[in-house]
Amino acid sequence: MDTNVKLKKAQEMVEKISDLPTIPIVASKVLELLDKPDVELEEVADMILTDQVLAARVIKIVNSPLYRSSQEIKSVKRALVYLGFRHIRELALTCSFIEAFQGKDGAFDVMTFWEHSFGVGIVAKIIAQRARYIDTEKAYLAGIIHDIGEVFLSYYYQKDFQRILQEIKSTPYKLVDAEDRFWGTNHSYIGVAIAQKWNFPPEYCEVIADHHEPELATIDPNLVAIVNLADLFCSVRQLDYGGREWVSFNLAEEKAWDILKKFAPHMAKLDVERFCYELDDRVPEVQDLVKSIFEGMVME
Amino acid sequence: MKLADKDFELFRDYIYNLCGIYFHASKKYFLESRLARRMEETGITSHADYYKLLKGGAGGAQELKRLLDEVTTNETCFFRNVPQLTALENKLLPELVEVKGKIGFRKLRIWSAGSSSGEEAYTMAMILLEKRQTLLKDWIIEIVGTDINETVLAMAREGVYNSYSVRNTPEFFRKKYFKQESTEKFILSPDVKKLVTFTHLNLYDDTKMIFMKSFDFIFCANVLIYFDTASKSKVVQHFYNNLQPYGYFFVGQSESLHGVNDSFKTIHFPGGFAYKK
Ligand SMILES: C[S@@+](CC[C@H](N)C(=O)[O-])C[C@H]1O[C@@H](n2cnc3c(N)ncnc32)[C@H](O)[C@@H]1O
Ligand SMILES: [Fe+2]
Ligand SMILES: [Fe+2]
Repeated sequence: MDTNVKLKKAQEMVEKISDLPTIPIVASKVLELLDKPDVELEEVADMILTDQVLAARVIKIVNSPLYRSSQEIKSVKRALVYLGFRHIRELALTCSFIEAFQGKDGAFDVMTFWEHSFGVGIVAKIIAQRARYIDTEKAYLAGIIHDIGEVFLSYYYQKDFQRILQEIKSTPYKLVDAEDRFWGTNHSYIGVAIAQKWNFPPEYCEVIADHHEPELATIDPNLVAIVNLADLFCSVRQLDYGGREWVSFNLAEEKAWDILKKFAPHMAKLDVERFCYELDDRVPEVQDLVKSIFEGMVME
Repeated sequence: MKLADKDFELFRDYIYNLCGIYFHASKKYFLESRLARRMEETGITSHADYYKLLKGGAGGAQELKRLLDEVTTNETCFFRNVPQLTALENKLLPELVEVKGKIGFRKLRIWSAGSSSGEEAYTMAMILLEKRQTLLKDWIIEIVGTDINETVLAMAREGVYNSYSVRNTPEFFRKKYFKQESTEKFILSPDVKKLVTFTHLNLYDDTKMIFMKSFDFIFCANVLIYFDTASKSKVVQHFYNNLQPYGYFFVGQSESLHGVNDSFKTIHFPGGFAYKK
């Protein structure tokens, strides 16, 4: 089906929702600050600190497991330094998104959703490191937000979504394909419709839009390929939304794998099985991270 | 009796060349204790004499079988690798049935290599029996279990198990396919036993391996972990040759073919892998 048609359909579905969450005030002030030409890191950190929940999340996300610098980062300012100025915008948007969908359990619960998302973020970062992709933080953040369309559908189109999940239960059909059949669009297009409304930077929009069709990417195909592969690995290694779909794939036939090998030929030698077994061992760390991101942040 | 280093090497190499199982130096004690058992039984008092017996003394062939029974690890159970079984049921079997059905060849051949006391082979039999009225209607099913260890083969043929063997078996299958005689005695139904044949086979024996032709699914789980890379490669190449073009090869949970064989393609599924030509 034509991608334009799908995008249009997705935009309609997003527009229909009148109470779509907006970016929390502090986060939007952070974004405003970032638009100022000569903003200081200090200023941004101070702004984040006016929202305790936001501040705590920023620190926890930056301290994600496997990825911890030798010392734990305890202040917002150091977190921002560690992450790099250029990533603050995405971090603020990601935190806003977490905030906006907190407690919005739908066809699946939000925690399982974030476990998958952070899993993909962390695995994308690991792949990026191994492939010597230049911006590993970008891979991490892009991984975290790749499926935001899913949490929207699960909450705002809960009944339909439930039906789709039921339909594909213990069959080898892909969720995206089932969504396409049902709505004529899927969570990638829904996700990008939301991301555009929220002004996510274009590379991130592209990851959201093309993470199931990496061959369509034009801005940063390597980034899209990395997230696509991370997503595939997570779907077969217990970071799979509690098994809501049954995925199988042959890496040799995956377009993302071709793209990545072209970019980083040494990846052809990766011991993929071992890589997967290592991921299995890391699942609890990912779950702990996600738990900690929500801990003590139950809404009043 | 303490096993001298040079004797350890002698037995280690002998066993390795015979069946591919490789004892690292860290396993010396294991080998020593197993040899001790056999030597006590046969009344032989020196390692050198025992070695001579194996290498061609009177009754050497018999004794060798007994020794192999001692040094192989036979741990197994029904439904040992559930993710693998799920993949098979969900996807691999239906696809294979479609391909073979199209060419009008309604026969499934399955091999459990290193079958131990038969649980793996019988698990497949039960799963396929469940599809007898549907997917596999009018299909011929042949399941072969092979092992080097005669003792476990005899157990497999007998088909009587204890509670430890069935600990992972879903209630449904336990009720349907076993007759429970006591808390410790589970007798497998003849319908299941009928589908499987057990034979002695040393996977390291090239002359025999080339006759194991045309399988749709081959399982070799928790066997090659006792081999070294070279002997693994040799055995896996046979599996590759003996697998149908549309068939699948499986190893055990947390095993890998990386560095062992690069002809196979890896298929990923939740919780595991399958290999395909
Ligand atoms: C741990 S059991 C595995 C049983 C079953 N496949 C499973 O995964 O539960 C390993 C079996 O491999 C057999 N074995 C080891 N080396 C062998 C060889 N060279 N040829 C045939 N069988 C062998 C052993 O006798 C033992 O019964
Ligand atoms: Fe997705
Ligand atoms: Fe995903």
